[in-house]
Amino acid sequence: MRWVETTTTVRFNEVDQWGITWYGHYFAWFELARMKVLEQFSLLPEDFTRLGFIAPVVSAQCEFKKPARTNDTIRIRAHLLKPQTASLTFRFEILLQNDGSLIAQGQTVQVLQRLDGTMIYKLSGTLEERVESMIQHFWPDS
Amino acid sequence: MSPREQTGLVENLKELIIGTLRLEDVGPEDIVASEPLFGEGLGLDSIDALELVVAIEREYQVEIPDAEVGRRAFASINALAEFVLEKGAGQQASDAVG
Repeated sequence: MRWVETTTTVRFNEVDQWGITWYGHYFAWFELARMKVLEQFSLLPEDFTRLGFIAPVVSAQCEFKKPARTNDTIRIRAHLLKPQTASLTFRFEILLQNDGSLIAQGQTVQVLQRLDGTMIYKLSGTLEERVESMIQHFWPDS
Repeated sequence: MSPREQTGLVENLKELIIGTLRLEDVGPEDIVASEPLFGEGLGLDSIDALELVVAIEREYQVEIPDAEVGRRAFASINALAEFVLEKGAGQQASDAVG
């Protein structure tokens, strides 16, 4: 399975009074990896807007396996599931850098809308081309 | 198209929706053909719409490109049957029920 990966360090302001990462921050970390993917295919938020679309998240899910603590270096990786519909589903894993153990895994689902809010059910034009390149990256045999 | 054929298409669409969206504890008789599919009525959501669009295109070769068209097509099962017929491929599917 192909992943796009990035790393970050857990900051003091990201942990709670028990010294472990507050659960909501994991979604912001997912975002770091997702942005790294989207950047490669000119699908960053500003690119979407330029093409006349937005891609809001309609579902987000996370399972927490192990705590992350201040100053831990973590690896965040993203993988695009093969789309069956006009949507983008990313899988994420977060691992501790020092021993490679899995600390969280999750998923987000994004749908595509025109700037006026109309949801699109079929991709076309430049947006379709860029999404297709991204699919090819993660699913080279398809 | 005869009333019998139209009824066949409506029943086929109900089965398609139940099968595609893996609706548990919902039978064709639970779906009221005149009620909205989204929000009230069956209570389907935007992800369901995307899956239905793919299934309808596969079964009936009818495209629903966006929610603007979808608003009409998904207004109810009856509306969806009319939409499929209007776009020309409904005949073939309703033939299947004889």
